[in-house]
Amino acid sequence: MAKKEQPRANLLQGTLDMLVLRTLLYGPAHGHEIGKHIQRTTNDFLQMQHGSLYPALHRLEERGWVTAKWEKGPNQNREFKYYRLTEKGRKQLLVEESQWKQMAEAVARVMWPAAEES
Amino acid sequence: MKWWRMRERNDDLERELQSDLELEEEEQRERGLSSEEARRAARRAFGNTTLIRQQTRETWAETWGWARFEHIRQDLQFALRQFSRNRRFAIACILTLGLGIGAEATIYSVIHAVLIDPYPYRGAMRMVHLHLYDKDPVPDDLALNGPQFRELEKSPVLDGAIAEDVYTMSLTGEELPEQLSVSRMSPNAFEYFGVSPLLGREFSAADGNRVAVLSYHFWKSHYAGRIDVLGKPLQLNREDYTIIGVLPQRFAWMWGDAYVPLAYSTDPRRISNVFARTREGISDRAAELALQPLLDTFAKETPADFPQHFKVHLVHINEVAIGQFRGVLEVLFVSVSFLLVLACVNVAILMLARGEARQTEIAMRKALGAGKRRIVTQLLTESILLSAAGGALGILLAYAGVHAILRLTQPLPTLFPAEANIAVNLPVLLFCAGISMVTAILCGAWPALRASRTGFRHVMNSGTNRLAGRRGGRNAQMSLLTLQVAITILLLVCSGSTVQTLLRLLHANLGYDPQSLASVSLVSLEGSHNKWADRVHYFEQIRSAIAADPDVVSAAIGALPLTGSEPTPVSIAGQKESSGSVIAQNVNEDYFSTLRMPLLAGRMWTRNETTRGAHFALINEAMSKRYWPAANPLGATIVLNNGVVHGTMWKLVAPGNDEHFQVIGVVGNVLNHGLDEAVRPAVYVPYSMTPFDGFTISFRARTNPASLLHAIKERVHSVEPDQAVGEILTATDVIEGQSLGRESFVASLFTAFAFLALAFAASGLYSIQSYLVAQRTRELGVRIALGARRSQIVEEVTRAAAVSVLTGAAAGIVTSVALSGVFAYWTNGNARDPVLLAIVAGVLFSAAMLASVGPALTAASIDPMQALRTE
Repeated sequence: MAKKEQPRANLLQGTLDMLVLRTLLYGPAHGHEIGKHIQRTTNDFLQMQHGSLYPALHRLEERGWVTAKWEKGPNQNREFKYYRLTEKGRKQLLVEESQWKQMAEAVARVMWPAAEES
Repeated sequence: MKWWRMRERNDDLERELQSDLELEEEEQRERGLSSEEARRAARRAFGNTTLIRQQTRETWAETWGWARFEHIRQDLQFALRQFSRNRRFAIACILTLGLGIGAEATIYSVIHAVLIDPYPYRGAMRMVHLHLYDKDPVPDDLALNGPQFRELEKSPVLDGAIAEDVYTMSLTGEELPEQLSVSRMSPNAFEYFGVSPLLGREFSAADGNRVAVLSYHFWKSHYAGRIDVLGKPLQLNREDYTIIGVLPQRFAWMWGDAYVPLAYSTDPRRISNVFARTREGISDRAAELALQPLLDTFAKETPADFPQHFKVHLVHINEVAIGQFRGVLEVLFVSVSFLLVLACVNVAILMLARGEARQTEIAMRKALGAGKRRIVTQLLTESILLSAAGGALGILLAYAGVHAILRLTQPLPTLFPAEANIAVNLPVLLFCAGISMVTAILCGAWPALRASRTGFRHVMNSGTNRLAGRRGGRNAQMSLLTLQVAITILLLVCSGSTVQTLLRLLHANLGYDPQSLASVSLVSLEGSHNKWADRVHYFEQIRSAIAADPDVVSAAIGALPLTGSEPTPVSIAGQKESSGSVIAQNVNEDYFSTLRMPLLAGRMWTRNETTRGAHFALINEAMSKRYWPAANPLGATIVLNNGVVHGTMWKLVAPGNDEHFQVIGVVGNVLNHGLDEAVRPAVYVPYSMTPFDGFTISFRARTNPASLLHAIKERVHSVEPDQAVGEILTATDVIEGQSLGRESFVASLFTAFAFLALAFAASGLYSIQSYLVAQRTRELGVRIALGARRSQIVEEVTRAAAVSVLTGAAAGIVTSVALSGVFAYWTNGNARDPVLLAIVAGVLFSAAMLASVGPALTAASIDPMQALRTE
């Protein structure tokens, strides 16, 4: 079942965790909001796939980087499952961020050596 | 994550997904889509929710592998449900595996016990008999006197040797004397055998001559296994021995009841049999070359103890013990290995056919969101479950099989060496189970791997795939079927030729009447009745005492046919090239009437002539035809060259016995060399010519002869109180034990295997055909709707399998004809017999027809409407 190539980037393994943690830095959010936020912020470049989002959320919870609780939403009478960053999660975000930076710099040095020299 | 919170966790995930799906839907509606469109768009955006659920659940368990456990539970549940829906398939698989494993492990256990590890002795595989061959086809065991034995022991090619004499002795000092087989062994014997005793100790050079070690068998039967036998006296031939030990069950050297030390005197005339063990790394050939000059020197010292111009030949103890049966066991092993291959092939066919049939299901599950690994593990679980059940059944059957073999061979104590301990061989059992389980697992996983590669649309597009089945899968199955049929033919031929042999034996014309005929053997006490006239008279006294029993019709001196008569060199006076060997038997004049053998010409000798040792002989018809094809043998003189001119301690010679006998009569032929062998020329001479210390009384009873033992013992006791009487041997026992029992054992095993193979082949054929029909139901329905005749349909679906069956049958028949020489060597059967081959082919084709009837009828009765609708 070959799929047609779509103009979307596949997330690097592990990157999604970082993006989710970063999104939660603004405050608690439920799964839908997190997905939409990432999608919107990247101008739809990163199309959120639910197939990866929910496993990622549950993985983060399992590791204790986020907590989850069913709470009432601001406007509606409905309850949503809100994810909240924990102290451990904040530290993890810093770690992942610095790793990502190193990674990006390393890639850049290989890809655009001239820019680096000047 | 605790497993009992699973349900809670699931509900939570469900709620979360639901809530987000609703949000997505609302969002789409706000963009102006209708509610129906919005729901669909939301679902599309979410993608495969089953997969999301599954992958999310997997993250819960990352730390401790819950998911895997959970999957296994689900898979097992699903597999069990599959099997209960498809019972026939599951049962066929489990039975095939179980029977294959069980049969192979059983036969291999016997082979291991009998051929590979039969003896408990140290270095048993290097233990040999030293046979001396001259022109005589039956060799002598090497016998040496004391000094010679000590010389031989030192030979650098040998790793120890023992001297031994086996005597039949009387257990005296009890109410009625009992006859025991006592082995006198040189004092180094137990060191040589290297087997520790079960109780007490074994004798060594430090012990005197009056100690005895009991065999396990005798200890159990005579002393009921009591521990306090140690130190008790054992009276043999009126001499006291002290029991010092009991041997373990597997020590059964020479079938002895008791073992006592052999005192080698310095008397050079006192000789004993010698057995040896070759040194490690020395080949038999090298040992023979090294021993020959040594034995030649001995022969120069004591020429009377050696045959002339002999060659020494080493024969391993196992060869002596089982002889030609080894070949039969090897063929059995090959057959049963074929059977295991067949079982594996059958399982492969079943699994592949089923895998093909499940392509649609697998594609469907994939479309519904099952991951590739998930599908493969699911199918693997199914095949592992099946093979585990098959393996378990196989293990049970192996134990049952070994038990059955023990029961079958119980009446044939000499079939296997006495030391052989037949029990289930665990490593082999595990190996067999392993092989077939691996087959099942591989064949079970194959469709899964294939299916996970094929696309959904390819499979679901029933238009192309439902027509004639995929070529690749079908070719594999057809070749497997061909192989199955060929092997089945081979096994059927094997079984057929053993049954043929058995039938021939059953219908053999014995030449005498075995009904109620039996014999007892007696050994006169050592040193008693040592004068010729006394011994001749003593034998006659015993005979007439037994004949006087009211339940005895008649009694004679002389052994039953087929019981240990050795060939004797013969020459005919007045004939030049007329040397050869005949079977010579020492009998009295009652022998022929007791056995009911007809006198064809001439006359019998009289009692009076027996008593005085007349030089008369009766010959059988075979001898008459061989040496006097056109002439009358009566009055001719024959010379029996059995070297009896000088008597020994145990063999007395009639005065004036010059080995020349005058033929006075011709009697009918008696099968005297084996039920399946031509009658050998035979000479009967009066027992009084060379009375041995042991003799045999044959008698015909009015009732079951075996029930007369006690009566006979009492009659003998009245003549000589210390005379022990051996077991009663019936003529039926002799025939059974000789070869009939062995052949029927072999024939029943081969036949069982052949029919198992046939069942496997039939089940393979059946499953292939049903699968083909099932797969083509739609196509066949269309064709019937378009006017195809039912007979055409039947022909269509059976053609491919029929080609395989015919090819396989042809290959099998060609192979068995090609191998007929091998068969003949091993089983005495004729694999080239056209009648046999026709019967075998007939059986196979009938089975193939039976197996095809079901699927063919299904194909013929396809209802076109139904077929098109169900798809």
